[in-house]
Amino acid sequence: MIKVSNVSMKYIITHDSIQSLKEFTVAFLKRKLVYEEFWALKGISFEVEKGEVMGIIGRNGAGKSTLLKIISGILKPTEGSVQLKGNIVPMLELGSGFDYDLTGRENIFLNGSILGYSERFLKGKFDEIVEFAELDKFIDVPIRNYSSGMLMRLAFSIATVVEPDILIVDEILAVGDEAFQSKSKARMLELMGGGTTVLFVSHNLDQIREICNRVIWLDEGKIKMTGETQQVCDAYRLQS
Amino acid sequence: MAGCGCQVPGRDRRKAKHMREKRITLVHGCVIFIILYIILSVGLYFIAGEEFRCKRVQDSTSCETDVPAGELTKGLILEQVFEAQTDIIDSISIKFATYARQNSGTVCVQIFSDEELLMEKILDVSGFTDNSFVTIQCEEPITNVKGETLRIIVFSETGTPGNSVTLWLSKHQARPDQKLLLNGAAVDGTLCYAIEGRDVLLQGKDYFAAAAVLGILMCLYCLRIIHCEKTGKKCIGLSVILAFRKYGFLLKQLVSRDFKTKYKRSVLGVLWSFLNPLLTMTVQYIVFSTIFKTDIPNFAVYLLIGIVFFNFFSESTNMGLMAIVGNASLITKVYIPKYIFPVSRVLSSSINLLISMVPMLIVVMITSTRITKAILLLPFSIACTIVFCIGMSFILSSAMVYFRDTQFLWSVVSMLWMYATPIFYPETILPQRLMPLFKMNPLYHFIRFSREIIIAGASPEPKAYLFCIIASVVPFLAGVFVFKKTQDKFVLKI
Repeated sequence: MIKVSNVSMKYIITHDSIQSLKEFTVAFLKRKLVYEEFWALKGISFEVEKGEVMGIIGRNGAGKSTLLKIISGILKPTEGSVQLKGNIVPMLELGSGFDYDLTGRENIFLNGSILGYSERFLKGKFDEIVEFAELDKFIDVPIRNYSSGMLMRLAFSIATVVEPDILIVDEILAVGDEAFQSKSKARMLELMGGGTTVLFVSHNLDQIREICNRVIWLDEGKIKMTGETQQVCDAYRLQS
Repeated sequence: MAGCGCQVPGRDRRKAKHMREKRITLVHGCVIFIILYIILSVGLYFIAGEEFRCKRVQDSTSCETDVPAGELTKGLILEQVFEAQTDIIDSISIKFATYARQNSGTVCVQIFSDEELLMEKILDVSGFTDNSFVTIQCEEPITNVKGETLRIIVFSETGTPGNSVTLWLSKHQARPDQKLLLNGAAVDGTLCYAIEGRDVLLQGKDYFAAAAVLGILMCLYCLRIIHCEKTGKKCIGLSVILAFRKYGFLLKQLVSRDFKTKYKRSVLGVLWSFLNPLLTMTVQYIVFSTIFKTDIPNFAVYLLIGIVFFNFFSESTNMGLMAIVGNASLITKVYIPKYIFPVSRVLSSSINLLISMVPMLIVVMITSTRITKAILLLPFSIACTIVFCIGMSFILSSAMVYFRDTQFLWSVVSMLWMYATPIFYPETILPQRLMPLFKMNPLYHFIRFSREIIIAGASPEPKAYLFCIIASVVPFLAGVFVFKKTQDKFVLKI
């Protein structure tokens, strides 16, 4: 279950980002410390029930990613709060924390621990990960020697081996060649279909229609519309 | 984000079982912790009990050795009256002169308190060297004498003119309680003597009482943690344990990554952890033992201890400095408690510290420094240093997020810090009035502590432990405070 109550996120934009003490002092003395406020999200409230698949749509810059980051705990909202029940797996990016000097095996443990898996879980799932990524004999090679397809396959396999209570997905992650793409898509759909609560961001309305129960339409940091998938998607299509 | 989202009954049961397992391990952990505490506190008493009970004190007169007392022939009795300055007297040293010739016979040295004979020793004068102290060890330490008026009596049964030794006297009467008598008549001056003694600081039972009180407090806290876990209440201890349980694996992975990648693609690999301090020491040893002469005894070991500790400080803070900025891609993409980054950086360089202890111990053995049981105290100063460095890394890494100048500023500050710490110079050359300032330097305490246990081979006085703990915990808490205040803004700034 996810409960988002009245979440707002304010960014402060200085026109040239001040990163050194000198720049700060100069700007301060010149009284040129002009800040501009920018509300990426304003007063967002909604609830997602257990087992529901909630889609989020909106144009670029509507605040979708910011919202996902706040729910996954990466960002702290300026106002409001988020309540979650259950372990949460945000799939915002693949292969976070990969170290190119380490072998595939070492990276499975490193990346897995970053994603919050326990040691016992990873050891149990290790063979499954390697098998799914189709990497068997390359697993003890430093990943800087991997092809980009191999890297993505490895990253995808580690990220999707979980059994989360809450899953947060930023676009369906279909990677690799055609065969792997359909395999990974099937895996994603399986993950999202298995009774888990899902928050799903996508620009692909067909996918949204396919799997979501409800949809939120974000526009310029506010909820423009929320409701049944069909209704919201139709309205969104008309608008754009 | 804690709690359980239970969906199917099967899952419920599994979780319940899991919870039960967890509680058992927590209770086990508490029991192990208490047992460890008992072992450590008893062990500490055996290693350092002597130094805890008493403090070594030297009571000596200013030996300017102005005049000899005249030949110590039969019938001449020298009597030095003084007030004992120490609780316990272990030995007494008297400066004899032999007139640059070989003498034979004996000299008798006695110590009296009123009419009670406390010590008597008959010395063979044939072994004396001219103008040097002869140390007389008390067979049984003379105890409980502080403030009492004692008399040292020196006479010879065999001395004849031409075949006798003499004692040096200082013309100055150093203290009002000192009086010199020659055959019962008061004369000017003071006998040239030094007393090695100890002051009683703490009784054995005091130590154990304090340890027991602390132990009971810990037991109570353990009970509280267990209780909190049962009822689901929050307390600091429990959240620390849970965080360790949850993120311990991640921490392990990050530490091993840092360590594995550090020497990857270098030919000698981990060997550099040995070589680095050894080579630095060799260079500095050559510079400071030939070009700038120092008179520090056992200079190689003295220097190496300083270098090993300071290198660790500088390496871990430099790595900790970049901990947040360098992991920006992770912090903006995944939720991980941010404190884990500085901590993992410091811990991975402390593996280096432990490895560089090996060449240090080798040098200790080569220079034939006596290794005593006090070396078991080394983990204490290492742990204090690590805690201190974690605190520093917290402060530096969060400062780095806001101002990228921090890294350049820090390289200057750490150089200054190196010169402000007695690494290659003796602490005696520091100006006396600036001493309080130098004692503010936490590294000074850690390095001094380690030198004391390795070079002197004995535990430092209890005060040194206290200083080390303060010097590590205060910066650590300051770091935690700063980090906690600023961490929510990190994502926006990196």
